[in-house]
Amino acid sequence: MIPEQTHSIIEQWIEPESRVLDLGCGDGSLLSRLVRDRRVEGIGVEISQDMIVKCLANGISVYQADIDRGLSQWDDLSFDFVILNATLQVIHRPHGLINEMLRVGRSAIISVSNFGFVRNRIRVFFDGRISREVRITGSWHNTPVIRFVSLEEFLHSLHEMDIDIVDARYFLPWGGVMKTRAVLDNLLVKGAVFMLKRET
Amino acid sequence: MDSPVQTSTLHLDRPFRLDSGDIIRGLTVAYETYGEPNSARDNAILIEHALSGSAHAAFFHRGDPKPGWWDAMIGPGKAFDTDRYFVICSNVLGGCNGTSGPSSRNPATGKPYALSFPPVSIRDMVEVQRMLLAHLGIERLRSIAGGSMGGMQALQFFADYPSLFDSFICIASTMRHSAQQIAFNEVGRRAVMADPRWNGGDYYGDVPPEGGLSVARMIGHITYISEKMMQEKFGRLRKGKDDRAVFRPSFEVEHYLDYQGIAFVRRFDANSYLYITSAIDNFDLVSSISGANRCRGENRARGTGIDAMRKKKGLVISFTSDWLYPTQQSHDIVRFFSGLNASVSFAEIETDHGHDAFLTDIEGQTLIIRSFLDALIP
Repeated sequence: MIPEQTHSIIEQWIEPESRVLDLGCGDGSLLSRLVRDRRVEGIGVEISQDMIVKCLANGISVYQADIDRGLSQWDDLSFDFVILNATLQVIHRPHGLINEMLRVGRSAIISVSNFGFVRNRIRVFFDGRISREVRITGSWHNTPVIRFVSLEEFLHSLHEMDIDIVDARYFLPWGGVMKTRAVLDNLLVKGAVFMLKRET
Repeated sequence: MDSPVQTSTLHLDRPFRLDSGDIIRGLTVAYETYGEPNSARDNAILIEHALSGSAHAAFFHRGDPKPGWWDAMIGPGKAFDTDRYFVICSNVLGGCNGTSGPSSRNPATGKPYALSFPPVSIRDMVEVQRMLLAHLGIERLRSIAGGSMGGMQALQFFADYPSLFDSFICIASTMRHSAQQIAFNEVGRRAVMADPRWNGGDYYGDVPPEGGLSVARMIGHITYISEKMMQEKFGRLRKGKDDRAVFRPSFEVEHYLDYQGIAFVRRFDANSYLYITSAIDNFDLVSSISGANRCRGENRARGTGIDAMRKKKGLVISFTSDWLYPTQQSHDIVRFFSGLNASVSFAEIETDHGHDAFLTDIEGQTLIIRSFLDALIP
């Protein structure tokens, strides 16, 4: 999943002038884009002070917090969209967080990297280890990436939690994008991004 | 700016009416400014001092080796960059460093006011500063910033006059004191009043209640730093062990507090301590901007101010080891102003230095504040 590809899909989904919360917003580049092109009222959440400083320098409002400790700072439905992009893999309690996202926001947007993707399986099969690409940084004992979830497992979780998929994009290797699921997608899809709502 | 700075004084000709309805005649306001206003006159930043601060926020006074109380934060290339911003700081109403307070001379009697000085509020403090801004010809400020009681003033001023400011910066502060915070202040006030030299506030021209005031300051200093810092700095170290007198300070921490207490009574008025700590305890931002008998500010009732706060930016900073103004109180500030549609950022700086970190932890604050101010440029 290339950030640019995910960012532009998220941008298409975000309604102009909506209120957006971006969890694990990094340096605020996605929010900057949404503020500029969608005129959203956005706030980012970050745990790292370096990123806080970068967000502020980009003119992005940012809140320093550990999102694993919940979103109790925000009232129910205070946002139109709550985004969790390229962050799910570091979350200790993903179910709790997804529920929180759909408490404070009308919709949740979550991107998922598919651990079931064929290349990851091959790496495990031949090398007996998780690839650096999946782990992003560090070694097994100090990488922040602690969740290795397949597309299949993630979709199962959503079903269990009574969450509806409003829209989705499935990323194929070499740049292809699908809007709906396909045969063997748990093997062939690199990652996906979902717009979610609580079942009504 | 190598040349020394000095404190200026504004004399208000007309009577100043406090929020309580009381009147002060012949009000004086001590202030300092650093840097220059730009041609649009929109680069001013108002700095608010804490309980024991003064108008002397930065640079040096002639012949004084000690710079102003926030010199590490204000100056060329610093958090509040005086090459880019016109920085203003004034002494608070009720204080004892040039602005009218209980130690000032009452023009009606020719004697110090003492307890005949009317009680003051945080809102009164910022109203005085509004007069000062008018005098300086500043109609719009890039920001207003302060720590501790300075943060309370920043919140009050911003909430009362949102259209005056582009942003606010509130550090290690709260919208209202908790029972514990009031309790500590009350013990400090009782220490002053229990000193026979206090004499019902009437001690001017005599020895002031130094014993009581220094005890009050000692209590304050315990709350300003963290337990960990105190332990690391002093532990159980002793000093002057062959002193035979009983109950003489022997632990390092005792000497430290003693020193802090004595240093404070040399520069601070005991009655000002009572007036200002009371103003802090009585401060309650939410009720003050929503109260029925509100007579100040742009918007008389809560709700009508919301549009003015839209697109305004706020920055709230807390410190992990500040147990006097814990992080939760900063969360509450963010929540409240976000509810009024301001766009508020929050950072919690990791430090062992406790509440005093707003005066000592310069690097983290500088990075955060500079980035925040840079992005405000219209």
